[in-house]
Amino acid sequence: MGYTPEMLELIKRVEATRPARVEMARRGENFPALSLEERAVVLEAFHPDYQKEGRRPVKVGPDKGLVLPDEIATMLESRSMIRPDKVDLSHVDFDTDVLIVGAGGGGTSAALLASEAGVKVLMVTKLRHGDANTMMAEGGIQGATQECDSPFYHYLDTIGGGHFTNQPDLVAALSHDAPQSIAWLESLGMMFNKLPDGRLQVRHFGGSSRKRMHSAGDMTGAEIMRVLRDEARNRSDRITTLEFCPAVELILDEEGKCAGAILYNMETREFFIARAKAVVIATGGNGRLHIKGFATTNHYGATMDGVVMSYRAGVGTTCLPSTQYHPTGVAYPEQNVGLLITEKVRGLGAHVLNIDGEQFCFPLEPRDVESAELIKEAVEKKKAVITPTGRVGLWLDSPMIDLLHGEGTVRKELPAKFIQFARHGIDISKHPMLVYPTLHYQNGGIAINANCETVIPGLYSAGECTGGVHGENRLMGNSLQDVITFGRRAGVSAAAYVKKGVELKKLTLDHVAKYEKELKDAGIENPMIAPVLLPDYSTDEVAARRKMEAMQESE
Amino acid sequence: MKISYYPGCTLKTKARNLEDAAVASMAALGVDFQELERWNCCGAVHSLADDDLIHHVAPVRDLVRAMDQGSDKVVTLCSMCYNTLARANLLMRQDEVKRKTINDFMSEEKDYHGEVEVLHFLNFLRDHVGFDKVRERVKVPLNGLKVATYYGCTLVRPGNVAIEPPADRKLMAEFLEAIWASPVDFADATTCCGSYQVLANPDAALDVAARILESATRAGAEAVVLSCPLCEYSLARKQDELLQKNKISKDVPVFYFTQLLAAALGLGSEACRFDLSPRCSVELLKSKNYPIDAAVVGV
Amino acid sequence: MSHHDSKSASPMQVATGDRAILPEGARTIPIYVMGKRYEVPETLTIMKAMEYAGFKFLRGAGCRGGICGACPTVYRKEGDYKLYFGLACQTVVEPNMYLAQIPFYPANRAKYDIEAISPVAETVHALYPELFRCVACNNCTKACPMGVEVLDYISAIKQGDLARAAHLSFDCIQCGMCASRCMGELPQYHVAQLVRRIYGKYIQPRAAHLEKRVVEIESGKYDAMLDALQKMSHEELEKLYKEREREPDMAPPGTWMPEDTQYL
Repeated sequence: MGYTPEMLELIKRVEATRPARVEMARRGENFPALSLEERAVVLEAFHPDYQKEGRRPVKVGPDKGLVLPDEIATMLESRSMIRPDKVDLSHVDFDTDVLIVGAGGGGTSAALLASEAGVKVLMVTKLRHGDANTMMAEGGIQGATQECDSPFYHYLDTIGGGHFTNQPDLVAALSHDAPQSIAWLESLGMMFNKLPDGRLQVRHFGGSSRKRMHSAGDMTGAEIMRVLRDEARNRSDRITTLEFCPAVELILDEEGKCAGAILYNMETREFFIARAKAVVIATGGNGRLHIKGFATTNHYGATMDGVVMSYRAGVGTTCLPSTQYHPTGVAYPEQNVGLLITEKVRGLGAHVLNIDGEQFCFPLEPRDVESAELIKEAVEKKKAVITPTGRVGLWLDSPMIDLLHGEGTVRKELPAKFIQFARHGIDISKHPMLVYPTLHYQNGGIAINANCETVIPGLYSAGECTGGVHGENRLMGNSLQDVITFGRRAGVSAAAYVKKGVELKKLTLDHVAKYEKELKDAGIENPMIAPVLLPDYSTDEVAARRKMEAMQESE
Repeated sequence: MKISYYPGCTLKTKARNLEDAAVASMAALGVDFQELERWNCCGAVHSLADDDLIHHVAPVRDLVRAMDQGSDKVVTLCSMCYNTLARANLLMRQDEVKRKTINDFMSEEKDYHGEVEVLHFLNFLRDHVGFDKVRERVKVPLNGLKVATYYGCTLVRPGNVAIEPPADRKLMAEFLEAIWASPVDFADATTCCGSYQVLANPDAALDVAARILESATRAGAEAVVLSCPLCEYSLARKQDELLQKNKISKDVPVFYFTQLLAAALGLGSEACRFDLSPRCSVELLKSKNYPIDAAVVGV
Repeated sequence: MSHHDSKSASPMQVATGDRAILPEGARTIPIYVMGKRYEVPETLTIMKAMEYAGFKFLRGAGCRGGICGACPTVYRKEGDYKLYFGLACQTVVEPNMYLAQIPFYPANRAKYDIEAISPVAETVHALYPELFRCVACNNCTKACPMGVEVLDYISAIKQGDLARAAHLSFDCIQCGMCASRCMGELPQYHVAQLVRRIYGKYIQPRAAHLEKRVVEIESGKYDAMLDALQKMSHEELEKLYKEREREPDMAPPGTWMPEDTQYL
């Protein structure tokens, strides 16, 4: 298929300006980069995190008053799908030591470590075991494994990258455990990229002082996830996994300890009471909330369920207002929308251009600044290309790379991207790519300490749903390390807590009722029902037909 | 002309002594002996049912792979692989209707009409390397080693894929003479080793193996040479059980023909792989005081 | 089911998130989902086209980026006897394609203890004796949406070449299409997972420097340094951050050492 005739017509404008731009690049001249002051202005005006528009203080809960993106604030100001007064908590369907909510990299690591400590584990997830952002992480996993490196430098790189906003105990835990996590994955049989003598292959990444990025082909996260999942399946006598059966509300006991969760079988629409001496929330990120309508690199179930449930139970958040956008996500073809185009493309010299084939920014600004400049060109200048599916995009002029570095460079340096586009009839060494910023990562989330404890006894959390370890800006490769390090810690902590002897008192959903009163008192009418579990991509036309009265009554 | 080598699965696992000895010997003889880059199991048996074409797909795919790599000949070591590939090849050459059905089914591959020739290693040695050349290169003549030439069934049956006319067998003997050993023909040289009965009728399988071994010994042989992992299983690896059940009176040394070739060429233990052969086979070689490196026979 | 004539997209309508729209002037094409006709915008993936048509996925959608194996889809084209396989999130709709998603397919999985098993081919053969039911029909390879040479890795496993099988199967996303089409009833992707873990744990050489680092960490070598860092002021941290030496890009791993080694 490739580009439509209309788009090919627009590409001619890019081709018209290309010879002069290539000459400019050969002379070593660049479109001027912004000064620190100019950066501040464009960030302030166009970076979603900096805009007042689309953000507001959340009206209820432990972080009441915290300014958040509308989508997140609305999600926190939601009510439960459970009617607390109608639930018979005395009828327990599942009784377990540790309940793990979420079966991605963090949840599965927690399950493995908890089971090793000898406690009974029930792991529940809304999709399949392994359907998680862990699966999608391509780049790699950090850890100070080399002689020239140490946890000291991992700590420094991480906290510097996060603009020193990170929670120190979490950064220390991450950099301390990282080599152990990698050794654990190696011992489970993960296929790391290695040199012939067994030395781990390592690379630099944005913000690194040492080569610390370990990988497994260009699918590191997928390799981690399938190895962890396989191991959990080997231990099915100790780890019970329920798929398509997420937790939709936490249960506490009369003393305020976490005591389990209400599960919801999404296929049969049944509710179950799961009583547990400890609960680990490992539900991942929130990309599928599509803050401000952005596309996302996240998996289908990334809807912030864990933050919603724990917030309702009284657990506050860390760094939640901060979201990571990647400046160059795919805007066309539709099947690749939201997928990342690595920074390397711009590093090799490709310009970012508007609909007229003109440069409007320095291509290698920091990620947040670059994103803001693309958004400005599209939103304020209205100089973006509109795709056949109505998306906006700006050109990333990849054919320049072959012109600058020689025929065949694109193919050699960007093999995966080349194939990904070739599959859809686009030769990126001949035609530019259409890109736009994409939602990449939930920087903040549930507040925890280095043992993954929350303020509620018996409630633990790990992974992307938590906040603090990355501060307001995450470095590449720290997300996979986050899920392994803190997943393992959560499993160990929860098992130790259970083994110390936990006596659960009468189960209660009073916190849910109390939260709903708070919503009412805050004047929130018709709160949405959350966790939403899955995004709804119905068109307006379909949605309208679904809402006809007759249909509603029949439900 | 390009000749490729098709090993077969068993040679890569349980019969490394058959393969390692052959590959090292070819290297020692300076013969280009390239393994096919892509290959699958040969199918192991040739289906005789008229409507069971699916079991020909595996060997035909191997032949297509050989053709894809520009080979006009493919050499096998294992008798079973030889038989299966050669018969599938014949079918693709001769049966127009089945050829079309199989080619249509394998539409993702090039059409195949029997372009490749399937050779057993013994033929390859004689016709493409030359027994004279082998004889010249022998460093350790196996003088006085009396070896029974055991063909089993699949090298000579059916006649249209036999490695030589069944009534006029001499390949194994010529091979043994090239390495200065003494071939011993015997009555049960082409009797089936019984492997087809191993699961269904294990006692019958033991009986026939005992008969073959006794027959070889009676004919004056000190050892048996063969080219098939299944025969080796029946005649060598089952000997403990045969002795235990008093079906044979003493153990009989058994070699793959390639192991004797490697030993005669003066190759080391990693080539001869006597470590994977019955202990009595090694003892026999030791007793002959050939100038073989002590490590080769595992002293 | 055709909503073809109900489109009312204005020229300014823009797709947000993953919701597809039909912009002015865009064409729609018919597709058949489990035999039922829907009109959907061209250029969409099967997944987004089905969502456009009103489906809401529970099964059959996962990462939406071609790596999780949740959305394998089998389809035929008009006037073509062949079966085609693809991921719904990666495959573009074509006019008159007949499709069905196969989000799950049963496959036997053998349990094993990775610590206790012997890292040899015979282990794999014993756990999965059905390997030897393969007739090399190659349906597995033809069904693989990732282009993995499934028959080749199954052959390598039978041949005892676990390293080759581990590498050949590396791109497997465990969607199960190979198993769904196998006339020998093999669970190819489970066998491959076992083989890759044996390879990663036992055959690939272990990282000696990593083992050493783990011992150092367990001995508490870095505890005091990390404690000190946690107590530092923003200014002190920023100073250390700015003073970091950067490992040269071209230095092969394990060859370069910084001048300041007190924190190693």
